[in-house]
Amino acid sequence: MAEPVASVLDRFRMEADLTHGELWLRYFELGGMSTGFELEAILYGALAASPHDHDVIAHALNERFVELGGNHPVPYADEGNVSSNE
Amino acid sequence: MLDIEISQFDDEVVVRLFGEVASGTAAKFEAALQSLLERGHRSLILDLAQLEFINGAGLQMIIDCAGRCGIMGGSLTVRSPSLKLRRLLAIAGAGSLIRVEHSEAVAARLGPEQPPGQPGFSHRSTKGAPTPSEQFPMGLPADRRLVDSALRLVVTLATATVGGADGVSVSLRRHGVLSTVAASDDTISEMDADQYATGEGPCVDASIQGRWFHAEALSSETRWPDFTPRARGLGINAILSSPLVAQNKPVGALNIYSRSEGAFAPDDQELASVFAHQASNILTSACAGASSAEVAVRFASALRGREIVAQAQGVLMERFRLDEATAFSTLLRSSVWTDETMRQLAEGIVRSTVSVRAAGAPLLGGDSHG
Repeated sequence: MAEPVASVLDRFRMEADLTHGELWLRYFELGGMSTGFELEAILYGALAASPHDHDVIAHALNERFVELGGNHPVPYADEGNVSSNE
Repeated sequence: MLDIEISQFDDEVVVRLFGEVASGTAAKFEAALQSLLERGHRSLILDLAQLEFINGAGLQMIIDCAGRCGIMGGSLTVRSPSLKLRRLLAIAGAGSLIRVEHSEAVAARLGPEQPPGQPGFSHRSTKGAPTPSEQFPMGLPADRRLVDSALRLVVTLATATVGGADGVSVSLRRHGVLSTVAASDDTISEMDADQYATGEGPCVDASIQGRWFHAEALSSETRWPDFTPRARGLGINAILSSPLVAQNKPVGALNIYSRSEGAFAPDDQELASVFAHQASNILTSACAGASSAEVAVRFASALRGREIVAQAQGVLMERFRLDEATAFSTLLRSSVWTDETMRQLAEGIVRSTVSVRAAGAPLLGGDSHG
Protein backbone atom coordinates (compact mmCIF):
# COMPACT_ATOMS: atom_id res chain seq x y z
CA MET A 1 0.00 0.00 0.00
CA ALA A 2 1.36 3.41 -0.93
CA GLU A 3 2.50 5.48 1.98
CA PRO A 4 0.99 8.96 2.28
CA VAL A 5 3.24 11.47 0.53
CA ALA A 6 3.38 13.76 3.52
CA SER A 7 5.14 11.25 5.71
CA VAL A 8 7.63 10.76 2.88
CA LEU A 9 8.41 14.48 3.11
CA ASP A 10 8.99 14.16 6.84
CA ARG A 11 11.30 11.19 6.25
CA PHE A 12 13.31 13.35 3.84
CA ARG A 13 13.45 16.02 6.54
CA MET A 14 14.90 13.56 9.03
CA GLU A 15 17.34 12.24 6.46
CA ALA A 16 18.43 15.81 5.78
CA ASP A 17 19.03 16.22 9.52
CA LEU A 18 16.85 19.31 9.80
CA THR A 19 14.64 20.17 12.75
CA HIS A 20 11.13 21.32 11.98
CA GLY A 21 12.18 24.85 12.95
CA GLU A 22 15.19 24.87 10.65
CA LEU A 23 13.18 23.50 7.74
CA TRP A 24 10.54 26.15 8.37
CA LEU A 25 13.17 28.93 8.22
CA ARG A 26 14.47 27.57 4.91
CA TYR A 27 10.93 27.26 3.59
CA PHE A 28 10.10 30.79 4.78
CA GLU A 29 13.27 32.09 3.10
CA LEU A 30 12.03 30.72 -0.24
CA GLY A 31 8.74 32.55 0.16
CA GLY A 32 6.66 29.91 1.97
CA MET A 33 3.59 31.39 3.63
CA SER A 34 2.59 28.66 6.11
CA THR A 35 3.44 28.91 9.79
CA GLY A 36 5.68 26.38 11.48
CA PHE A 37 2.65 24.64 12.91
CA GLU A 38 1.03 24.36 9.49
CA LEU A 39 4.27 23.11 7.99
CA GLU A 40 4.45 20.41 10.65
CA ALA A 41 0.85 19.50 9.94
CA ILE A 42 1.72 19.15 6.24
CA LEU A 43 4.74 17.00 7.07
CA TYR A 44 2.66 14.78 9.35
CA GLY A 45 -0.05 14.51 6.71
CA ALA A 46 -2.71 16.36 8.69
CA LEU A 47 -2.89 19.20 6.18
CA ALA A 48 -2.75 19.02 2.38
CA ALA A 49 -0.07 21.12 0.69
CA SER A 50 -0.88 22.97 -2.52
CA PRO A 51 1.43 21.96 -5.40
CA HIS A 52 3.22 25.29 -4.97
CA ASP A 53 3.69 24.78 -1.24
CA HIS A 54 4.86 21.25 -1.88
CA ASP A 55 7.50 22.56 -4.31
CA VAL A 56 8.74 25.16 -1.83
CA ILE A 57 9.12 22.49 0.87
CA ALA A 58 10.71 20.05 -1.58
CA HIS A 59 13.17 22.68 -2.77
CA ALA A 60 14.10 23.73 0.77
CA LEU A 61 14.92 20.07 1.45
CA ASN A 62 16.75 19.63 -1.86
CA GLU A 63 18.96 22.66 -1.21
CA ARG A 64 19.90 21.00 2.06
CA PHE A 65 20.70 17.73 0.27
CA VAL A 66 22.92 19.63 -2.19
CA GLU A 67 24.78 21.13 0.80
CA LEU A 68 25.33 17.58 2.04
CA GLY A 69 26.78 16.57 -1.33
CA GLY A 70 23.62 14.95 -2.68
CA ASN A 71 21.49 15.65 -5.71
CA HIS A 72 17.82 16.64 -5.60
CA PRO A 73 16.15 13.52 -4.21
CA VAL A 74 12.84 15.10 -3.19
CA PRO A 75 10.39 15.01 -6.14
CA TYR A 76 8.57 18.18 -7.18
CA ALA A 77 4.83 18.42 -7.73
CA ASP A 78 5.04 18.01 -11.51
CA GLU A 79 7.12 14.86 -11.16
CA GLY A 80 3.99 12.89 -10.36
CA ASN A 81 2.30 11.37 -7.35
CA VAL A 82 3.24 14.13 -4.96
CA SER A 83 0.57 16.76 -5.26
CA SER A 84 -1.25 16.08 -2.03
CA ASN A 85 -1.35 13.91 1.03
CA GLU A 86 -4.08 11.61 -0.18
CA MET B 1 22.83 56.31 -7.23
CA LEU B 2 25.01 55.03 -4.44
CA ASP B 3 28.69 55.68 -3.86
CA ILE B 4 30.55 53.77 -1.21
CA GLU B 5 33.86 54.94 0.20
CA ILE B 6 35.79 52.58 2.45
CA SER B 7 38.70 53.63 4.62
CA GLN B 8 40.58 51.83 7.35
CA PHE B 9 42.10 53.12 10.57
CA ASP B 10 43.86 50.41 12.58
CA ASP B 11 41.25 47.71 13.18
CA GLU B 12 38.28 49.90 12.36
CA VAL B 13 36.83 50.16 8.91
CA VAL B 14 34.71 53.19 8.04
CA VAL B 15 32.13 52.74 5.28
CA ARG B 16 30.74 56.05 3.97
CA LEU B 17 27.55 56.00 1.96
CA PHE B 18 26.69 58.76 -0.51
CA GLY B 19 23.26 58.80 -2.15
CA GLU B 20 20.53 56.18 -1.87
CA VAL B 21 20.28 52.54 -0.84
CA ALA B 22 17.24 51.57 -2.94
CA SER B 23 16.14 48.62 -5.05
CA GLY B 24 18.76 49.28 -7.74
CA THR B 25 21.64 49.93 -5.35
CA ALA B 26 20.97 47.72 -2.33
CA ALA B 27 22.87 44.81 -3.90
CA LYS B 28 25.96 47.02 -4.19
CA PHE B 29 25.69 47.93 -0.52
CA GLU B 30 25.24 44.31 0.47
CA ALA B 31 28.20 43.21 -1.65
CA ALA B 32 30.41 45.84 0.02
CA LEU B 33 29.40 44.68 3.52
CA GLN B 34 29.71 41.05 2.53
CA SER B 35 33.22 41.50 1.18
CA LEU B 36 34.37 43.31 4.34
CA LEU B 37 32.95 40.56 6.55
CA GLU B 38 34.51 37.87 4.39
CA ARG B 39 37.87 39.57 4.74
CA GLY B 40 37.51 39.18 8.50
CA HIS B 41 36.66 42.77 9.43
CA ARG B 42 34.37 42.67 12.42
CA SER B 43 34.38 46.27 13.67
CA LEU B 44 32.65 48.43 11.14
CA ILE B 45 31.54 52.04 11.24
CA LEU B 46 28.79 52.99 8.83
CA ASP B 47 28.89 56.73 8.21
CA LEU B 48 25.45 57.77 7.00
CA ALA B 49 25.88 61.55 7.10
CA GLN B 50 25.58 61.74 3.29
CA LEU B 51 22.92 59.05 2.93
CA GLU B 52 19.73 60.41 1.37
CA PHE B 53 17.49 57.34 1.53
CA ILE B 54 17.57 53.72 2.67
CA ASN B 55 14.89 51.11 1.96
CA GLY B 56 13.75 48.20 4.12
CA ALA B 57 16.20 45.82 2.48
CA GLY B 58 19.06 48.20 3.30
CA LEU B 59 17.93 48.46 6.90
CA GLN B 60 17.79 44.69 7.08
CA MET B 61 21.35 44.49 5.72
CA ILE B 62 22.55 46.79 8.49
CA ILE B 63 20.84 44.67 11.15
CA ASP B 64 22.11 41.47 9.54
CA CYS B 65 25.64 42.84 9.36
CA ALA B 66 25.47 43.98 13.00
CA GLY B 67 24.44 40.46 14.00
CA ARG B 68 27.34 38.94 12.10
CA CYS B 69 29.83 41.44 13.55
CA GLY B 70 28.47 40.57 17.00
CA ILE B 71 28.84 36.84 16.43
CA MET B 72 32.47 37.40 15.35
CA GLY B 73 33.11 39.34 18.56
CA GLY B 74 33.10 42.77 16.93
CA SER B 75 30.48 45.47 16.57
CA LEU B 76 28.74 47.70 14.09
CA THR B 77 28.54 51.43 14.72
CA VAL B 78 26.15 53.61 12.78
CA ARG B 79 27.35 57.21 12.56
CA SER B 80 25.05 60.18 11.94
CA PRO B 81 21.84 58.32 11.07
CA SER B 82 18.72 60.34 10.27
CA LEU B 83 16.05 60.63 12.94
CA LYS B 84 13.82 58.15 11.08
CA LEU B 85 16.58 55.59 10.70
CA ARG B 86 17.59 56.09 14.33
CA ARG B 87 14.02 55.27 15.35
CA LEU B 88 13.91 52.17 13.21
CA LEU B 89 17.25 51.00 14.53
CA ALA B 90 16.12 51.75 18.07
CA ILE B 91 13.06 49.55 17.70
CA ALA B 92 15.17 46.87 16.08
CA GLY B 93 17.47 46.69 19.09
CA ALA B 94 20.10 49.36 18.57
CA GLY B 95 20.72 49.13 22.31
CA SER B 96 22.34 45.76 22.07
CA LEU B 97 23.14 45.03 18.43
CA ILE B 98 24.06 48.39 16.93
CA ARG B 99 25.95 51.33 18.39
CA VAL B 100 24.76 54.74 17.29
CA GLU B 101 27.12 57.67 17.04
CA HIS B 102 25.70 61.11 16.36
CA SER B 103 27.42 63.91 14.54
CA GLU B 104 28.61 66.59 16.96
CA ALA B 105 25.78 68.98 16.12
CA VAL B 106 23.08 66.35 16.66
CA ALA B 107 24.73 65.07 19.83
CA ALA B 108 24.66 68.59 21.27
CA ARG B 109 20.94 68.91 20.49
CA LEU B 110 20.07 65.50 21.90
CA GLY B 111 21.83 65.99 25.19
CA PRO B 112 23.15 63.01 27.13
CA GLU B 113 22.79 59.57 25.57
CA GLN B 114 19.81 57.46 26.61
CA PRO B 115 20.62 54.63 28.97
CA PRO B 116 21.19 51.27 27.28
CA GLY B 117 18.03 49.40 26.35
CA GLN B 118 16.05 52.64 26.15
CA PRO B 119 17.40 53.88 22.87
CA GLY B 120 16.42 56.99 21.03
CA PHE B 121 12.83 58.08 20.96
CA SER B 122 11.32 55.49 23.24
CA HIS B 123 11.31 57.66 26.36
CA ARG B 124 7.58 58.14 26.24
CA SER B 125 6.54 54.82 24.80
CA THR B 126 7.86 52.96 27.83
CA LYS B 127 5.61 54.90 30.18
CA GLY B 128 4.10 52.33 32.50
CA ALA B 129 5.88 49.55 30.64
CA PRO B 130 8.66 47.43 32.04
CA THR B 131 12.28 48.36 31.47
CA PRO B 132 14.40 45.64 29.89
CA SER B 133 16.00 44.98 33.27
CA GLU B 134 12.74 43.78 34.75
CA GLN B 135 11.77 40.16 34.93
CA PHE B 136 11.57 37.94 31.94
CA PRO B 137 8.23 36.19 31.36
CA MET B 138 7.69 33.50 33.93
CA GLY B 139 10.88 34.61 35.68
CA LEU B 140 13.14 32.64 33.36
CA PRO B 141 16.88 33.06 33.52
CA ALA B 142 17.43 34.14 29.94
CA ASP B 143 19.29 37.17 28.67
CA ARG B 144 16.35 39.55 28.76
CA ARG B 145 17.99 42.31 26.81
CA LEU B 146 18.67 39.99 23.91
CA VAL B 147 15.16 38.61 24.04
CA ASP B 148 13.67 42.08 24.16
CA SER B 149 15.82 43.29 21.29
CA ALA B 150 14.93 40.20 19.27
CA LEU B 151 11.24 40.94 19.89
CA ARG B 152 11.78 44.56 18.88
CA LEU B 153 13.28 43.24 15.67
CA VAL B 154 10.14 41.17 15.10
CA VAL B 155 8.05 44.33 15.66
CA THR B 156 10.14 46.27 13.13
CA LEU B 157 9.92 43.55 10.53
CA ALA B 158 6.19 43.05 11.07
CA THR B 159 5.55 46.80 10.78
CA ALA B 160 7.49 46.92 7.53
CA THR B 161 6.06 43.74 6.03
CA VAL B 162 2.44 43.21 7.06
CA GLY B 163 0.17 45.14 4.70
CA GLY B 164 -2.23 47.51 6.46
CA ALA B 165 -0.11 47.67 9.62
CA ASP B 166 0.11 51.18 11.06
CA GLY B 167 1.61 49.96 14.30
CA VAL B 168 2.78 46.76 15.95
CA SER B 169 3.50 45.75 19.53
CA VAL B 170 4.44 42.72 21.58
CA SER B 171 2.75 42.19 24.96
CA LEU B 172 4.12 39.70 27.45
CA ARG B 173 2.70 38.44 30.69
CA ARG B 174 5.21 38.69 33.49
CA HIS B 175 4.12 37.22 36.81
CA GLY B 176 0.50 37.51 35.77
CA VAL B 177 0.75 41.12 34.62
CA LEU B 178 0.59 42.02 30.94
CA SER B 179 2.95 44.69 29.71
CA THR B 180 4.34 45.96 26.43
CA VAL B 181 7.89 44.86 25.62
CA ALA B 182 8.18 46.41 22.17
CA ALA B 183 6.02 48.91 20.33
CA SER B 184 6.46 50.73 17.06
CA ASP B 185 5.33 54.07 18.52
CA ASP B 186 3.69 55.84 21.45
CA THR B 187 0.10 55.55 20.20
CA ILE B 188 0.52 51.81 20.01
CA SER B 189 1.92 51.64 23.55
CA GLU B 190 -1.04 53.69 24.70
CA MET B 191 -3.41 51.34 22.91
CA ASP B 192 -1.91 48.36 24.72
CA ALA B 193 -2.00 50.21 28.04
CA ASP B 194 -5.72 50.97 27.52
CA GLN B 195 -6.37 47.26 27.14
CA TYR B 196 -4.41 46.41 30.30
CA ALA B 197 -6.29 49.17 32.15
CA THR B 198 -9.77 48.06 31.03
CA GLY B 199 -8.86 44.38 31.28
CA GLU B 200 -10.32 43.75 27.85
CA GLY B 201 -9.43 43.90 24.18
CA PRO B 202 -8.01 41.57 21.55
CA CYS B 203 -4.50 41.73 23.00
CA VAL B 204 -5.69 40.72 26.47
CA ASP B 205 -7.90 37.94 25.10
CA ALA B 206 -5.23 36.53 22.77
CA SER B 207 -2.69 36.54 25.63
CA ILE B 208 -5.01 34.66 27.94
CA GLN B 209 -6.87 32.35 25.60
CA GLY B 210 -3.95 31.56 23.31
CA ARG B 211 -5.88 32.09 20.10
CA TRP B 212 -6.35 34.76 17.43
CA PHE B 213 -8.56 37.80 17.82
CA HIS B 214 -9.33 39.86 14.75
CA ALA B 215 -11.38 43.05 15.06
CA GLU B 216 -12.02 43.87 11.41
CA ALA B 217 -14.00 47.06 12.05
CA LEU B 218 -14.07 48.69 15.47
CA SER B 219 -17.12 50.76 14.42
CA SER B 220 -19.25 47.60 14.67
CA GLU B 221 -17.26 45.82 17.38
CA THR B 222 -19.22 44.69 20.46
CA ARG B 223 -16.85 42.37 22.31
CA TRP B 224 -14.88 45.04 24.19
CA PRO B 225 -17.28 47.89 25.09
CA ASP B 226 -14.86 49.74 27.40
CA PHE B 227 -11.77 49.48 25.26
CA THR B 228 -13.22 49.98 21.76
CA PRO B 229 -14.18 53.69 22.15
CA ARG B 230 -10.70 54.45 23.50
CA ALA B 231 -9.07 52.79 20.51
CA ARG B 232 -11.29 54.66 18.08
CA GLY B 233 -10.47 57.85 19.94
CA LEU B 234 -6.80 57.22 19.07
CA GLY B 235 -7.69 56.70 15.40
CA ILE B 236 -7.45 52.91 15.34
CA ASN B 237 -10.10 51.02 13.38
CA ALA B 238 -8.83 47.45 12.98
CA ILE B 239 -6.78 45.17 15.24
CA LEU B 240 -5.25 41.74 14.77
CA SER B 241 -3.85 40.04 17.88
CA SER B 242 -2.03 36.73 17.54
CA PRO B 243 -1.09 34.69 20.59
CA LEU B 244 2.54 34.17 21.60
CA VAL B 245 3.25 30.76 22.99
CA ALA B 246 6.31 29.64 24.93
CA GLN B 247 6.70 26.05 25.99
CA ASN B 248 3.12 25.39 24.92
CA LYS B 249 1.61 28.07 27.17
CA PRO B 250 0.13 31.37 26.01
CA VAL B 251 2.40 34.13 27.36
CA GLY B 252 1.46 37.21 25.36
CA ALA B 253 0.36 38.57 22.01
CA LEU B 254 1.66 40.17 18.85
CA ASN B 255 -0.70 43.07 18.13
CA ILE B 256 -1.09 44.75 14.78
CA TYR B 257 -3.11 47.95 14.58
CA SER B 258 -4.48 49.79 11.58
CA ARG B 259 -6.20 53.10 11.03
CA SER B 260 -8.27 51.54 8.21
CA GLU B 261 -11.21 49.20 8.69
CA GLY B 262 -10.78 45.81 7.05
CA ALA B 263 -7.08 46.55 6.62
CA PHE B 264 -5.82 42.99 7.02
CA ALA B 265 -6.21 40.83 3.92
CA PRO B 266 -5.88 37.03 4.27
CA ASP B 267 -2.22 37.22 3.21
CA ASP B 268 -1.53 39.80 5.91
CA GLN B 269 -3.24 37.62 8.49
CA GLU B 270 -1.03 34.72 7.45
CA LEU B 271 2.06 36.87 7.64
CA ALA B 272 1.02 38.08 11.09
CA SER B 273 0.76 34.52 12.29
CA VAL B 274 4.20 33.83 10.83
CA PHE B 275 5.63 36.69 12.89
CA ALA B 276 3.76 35.56 15.99
CA HIS B 277 5.15 32.09 15.48
CA GLN B 278 8.65 33.51 15.15
CA ALA B 279 8.26 35.60 18.30
CA SER B 280 7.05 32.43 20.04
CA ASN B 281 10.16 30.61 18.82
CA ILE B 282 12.34 33.33 20.28
CA LEU B 283 10.55 33.06 23.62
CA THR B 284 10.68 29.28 23.60
CA SER B 285 14.37 29.23 22.74
CA ALA B 286 14.97 31.79 25.47
CA CYS B 287 13.16 29.47 27.88
CA ALA B 288 15.25 26.56 26.67
CA GLY B 289 18.45 28.58 27.08
CA ALA B 290 19.27 28.71 23.38
CA SER B 291 20.72 31.92 22.05
CA SER B 292 17.81 34.09 21.08
CA ALA B 293 20.25 36.48 19.39
CA GLU B 294 21.25 33.67 17.06
CA VAL B 295 17.60 32.88 16.37
CA ALA B 296 16.95 36.56 15.64
CA VAL B 297 19.95 36.83 13.32
CA ARG B 298 19.01 33.63 11.49
CA PHE B 299 15.47 34.89 11.09
CA ALA B 300 16.69 38.25 9.81
CA SER B 301 18.82 36.45 7.27
CA ALA B 302 15.89 34.26 6.17
CA LEU B 303 13.71 37.34 5.81
CA ARG B 304 16.39 39.03 3.72
CA GLY B 305 16.66 35.93 1.52
CA ARG B 306 12.91 35.89 1.13
CA GLU B 307 12.92 39.49 0.01
CA ILE B 308 15.67 38.81 -2.55
CA VAL B 309 13.79 35.81 -3.94
CA ALA B 310 10.64 37.94 -4.21
CA GLN B 311 12.57 40.73 -5.94
CA ALA B 312 14.06 38.26 -8.42
CA GLN B 313 10.60 36.85 -9.08
CA GLY B 314 9.42 40.40 -9.77
CA VAL B 315 12.26 40.97 -12.21
CA LEU B 316 11.43 37.75 -14.09
CA MET B 317 7.73 38.64 -14.16
CA GLU B 318 8.47 42.03 -15.63
CA ARG B 319 11.14 40.92 -18.11
CA PHE B 320 9.34 37.90 -19.49
CA ARG B 321 5.75 38.83 -18.65
CA LEU B 322 5.37 35.78 -16.45
CA ASP B 323 2.84 35.23 -13.71
CA GLU B 324 4.05 34.74 -10.16
CA ALA B 325 3.84 30.94 -10.17
CA THR B 326 5.72 30.62 -13.46
CA ALA B 327 8.40 33.02 -12.28
CA PHE B 328 8.83 30.90 -9.16
CA SER B 329 9.06 27.63 -11.09
CA THR B 330 11.56 29.24 -13.48
CA LEU B 331 13.74 30.11 -10.51
CA LEU B 332 13.24 26.66 -9.05
CA ARG B 333 14.22 24.86 -12.27
CA SER B 334 17.26 27.08 -12.73
CA SER B 335 18.30 26.31 -9.18
CA VAL B 336 18.03 22.55 -9.81
CA TRP B 337 19.99 22.78 -13.08
CA THR B 338 22.78 24.94 -11.74
CA ASP B 339 23.04 23.57 -8.19
CA GLU B 340 23.02 27.16 -7.02
CA THR B 341 20.65 27.92 -4.19
CA MET B 342 17.57 29.90 -5.09
CA ARG B 343 18.91 32.78 -3.01
CA GLN B 344 22.24 32.82 -4.91
CA LEU B 345 20.39 32.79 -8.20
CA ALA B 346 18.02 35.49 -7.02
CA GLU B 347 20.94 37.65 -5.90
CA GLY B 348 22.47 37.26 -9.37
CA ILE B 349 19.22 38.27 -11.02
CA VAL B 350 18.76 41.30 -8.79
CA ARG B 351 22.38 42.34 -9.46
CA SER B 352 21.77 41.89 -13.17
CA THR B 353 19.09 44.56 -13.11
CA VAL B 354 21.98 46.98 -12.71
CA SER B 355 24.61 45.27 -14.84
CA VAL B 356 22.30 44.17 -17.65
CA ARG B 357 21.73 47.77 -18.66
CA ALA B 358 25.43 48.50 -18.55
CA ALA B 359 26.91 45.37 -20.06
CA GLY B 360 24.15 43.20 -21.53
CA ALA B 361 24.87 40.41 -19.03
CA PRO B 362 22.67 37.31 -19.15
CA LEU B 363 19.65 37.44 -16.88
CA LEU B 364 19.84 33.93 -15.49
CA GLY B 365 22.83 32.01 -14.27
CA GLY B 366 25.01 35.01 -13.42
CA ASP B 367 28.70 34.37 -13.91
CA SER B 368 28.95 30.68 -13.10
CA HIS B 369 27.87 27.24 -14.25
CA GLY B 370 27.72 26.41 -17.91
